[in-house]
Amino acid sequence: MLMGKQSWVFQNKPVIAATGVTGGPFEANGKLAADFDILHDDLWIDEDSYEKAHRVLIEEACETVLKKANLQEEDIHFFIAGDLINQITPTSFSARTNQIPYFGIFGACSTSMEGLALASFMIDHGGAKNIITGSGSHNAAAERQFRYPTEYGGQKPPTAQWTVTGAGFALVKENDGTDENCPVTVSATIGKVVDMGLTDPFNMGGAMAPAATDTILAHFKDLNLDASYYDLIVTGDLGEIGRNTSYELLTNAGVKMDKEKYQDCGLLIYKEDQPVNSGASGSGCSAAVLYGHLLNQMKKGKYKRILVVATGALLSPMSFQQGESIPCIAHAVSIEMP
Amino acid sequence: MRFVRFSAILICTGLLFGCGTKGDDTKKSELALIKTTNPSPSVLDHRTEKNVDMAEGIKEEIQNYKEIYDAAIIKGDKDILVAYKVKHMYRFQMKKIEKDLKKKLEKKYPDEKFTISSDYKIFLEAVRLQEKMKNPDFSRKEANKKLQDIIKLQQEMT
Amino acid sequence: MSSKQKKKTPEQQKYDILQKKHETKRPVLKNCLRAFLVGGIICTIGQAITYFYIYFFNFTEQTAGNPTVATMVFLAMLLTGFGVYDHIGQYGGAGSAVPVTGFSNAVVSAAIEHRTEGLVLGVGGNIFKLAGSVIVFGVFAAFVVALIKTILINWGVL
Repeated sequence: MLMGKQSWVFQNKPVIAATGVTGGPFEANGKLAADFDILHDDLWIDEDSYEKAHRVLIEEACETVLKKANLQEEDIHFFIAGDLINQITPTSFSARTNQIPYFGIFGACSTSMEGLALASFMIDHGGAKNIITGSGSHNAAAERQFRYPTEYGGQKPPTAQWTVTGAGFALVKENDGTDENCPVTVSATIGKVVDMGLTDPFNMGGAMAPAATDTILAHFKDLNLDASYYDLIVTGDLGEIGRNTSYELLTNAGVKMDKEKYQDCGLLIYKEDQPVNSGASGSGCSAAVLYGHLLNQMKKGKYKRILVVATGALLSPMSFQQGESIPCIAHAVSIEMP
Repeated sequence: MRFVRFSAILICTGLLFGCGTKGDDTKKSELALIKTTNPSPSVLDHRTEKNVDMAEGIKEEIQNYKEIYDAAIIKGDKDILVAYKVKHMYRFQMKKIEKDLKKKLEKKYPDEKFTISSDYKIFLEAVRLQEKMKNPDFSRKEANKKLQDIIKLQQEMT
Repeated sequence: MSSKQKKKTPEQQKYDILQKKHETKRPVLKNCLRAFLVGGIICTIGQAITYFYIYFFNFTEQTAGNPTVATMVFLAMLLTGFGVYDHIGQYGGAGSAVPVTGFSNAVVSAAIEHRTEGLVLGVGGNIFKLAGSVIVFGVFAAFVVALIKTILINWGVL
């Protein structure tokens, strides 16, 4: 149901029944390694290209979801997913493998929440009974496409971020009371494109912060809530700079919350001593951290209500070369334990 | 894994450097890079008074130059090889020094053909040749041939 | 940068100021020192290789440049292949990118990357992705300078 200007409320409370999270070597050395279902120790994953390895990450995450939910591909009605690679080919090829009717979506690093919002809406309105949604990314494949060859000795500034090699997928299904201790999606806010004129592709955090702020403020306005309603507001991949910037923007706009309550997936996933400059990024970042670590924390009782705001930078290498600035977007979904 | 890679690179580099050592290099030429060897001028031709004087005269000429600190002079049958080292600060004026020296020598000894070079390789080869000449088995013909080789080497451009 | 600033709306300019407060500045002085150190070490290794070629092979100072560059390119290729050069680059910045080793790294890393697309279209088509600009502008600059020199010589200025 539409609420306010750009938000949905899911009255039937679609439930996130099962999740599957895969990761690569860097993530295996990170802080949240225990919350990953499958971890690989190299970027190739026995394939002969990084893009094929990217596809394997997604396929394995989906298989894990099905195994945990004790279902087959035939039982799933739709597959809503996307990634960062040109023409979202890794996700499309994984859809070729699982043969589930497929919606390919693109929101850069905000794809995970875009997919979750759409899936929840469809389930809530009876458009489907089981949907698998999520997103993935691969460090080498993304670096190749957006920046330089992986072995190139170019120096990255301290504002740069590290793309996560990982995928996070979830099964969203209609709430018939049979899933015990599973979180439910309650509402979602769809963001609009916000462009504050930043042009440095090595500083995505600074470019995405206004979009995150815009969506969070819209969410509070549409649903008539404030920050105290949530135990945790977590952004997708703003990194150190984006988090500080957006926190200041929110405070200036009148949102009162402790900085402890305002976290970022990009800062949670890696350890301090890993060379990731200002944090992690990638469409797999928010998906892997949410569907792994954060939902596990919710099931343990640490958080009862969280708002996940995935942020994406909608640029391409060519748009940057043509002198365009970086337009960004953020989608928010609120998840609660019943 | 990274340590294994790094040590492999180190060993390979060490082997490359080890492969090049020649056994018969005497001490003087090996240290020519770091020290001033100050070799005495050599004459390959008939050791006449005139030739020796000429060689000594050239050496004196060069010692007048404050920019040059080391020189090796070899007089062969037809040519005279003058190899010298320029002090570091004066390396900017190398071409000028070469032109100047050539003009001066040709004025003083107009009948001789001079080959002058500030190249370190030429100097090194000249010193090596002089050391070889100390060996009595080294014939004059061989020495002259070696001198011609050095002069041809000096003329190479690339 | 300021002309881009003028095209921004006042709201964007205000955000720019706010964002710059939180943006981690590049440590310019530290980067310069590191670049100096790394670049210097690479050039010292190059000089050592030059002396190696002068000592043990028949190269003069003039002609030793070719094998030295070839050796440096080869070493950078090994380091790139072993996955070490990008770490040197992150530490040294321009110090590793400016010498010829940086050029070698650019070409080799692109070649390694595009192996998955085949030899002709992948490697062949993309090998100069990064180095292409260097080659194009280098050749064009050489052409312009040679043209100017020829014209000046013809007019008797040079």
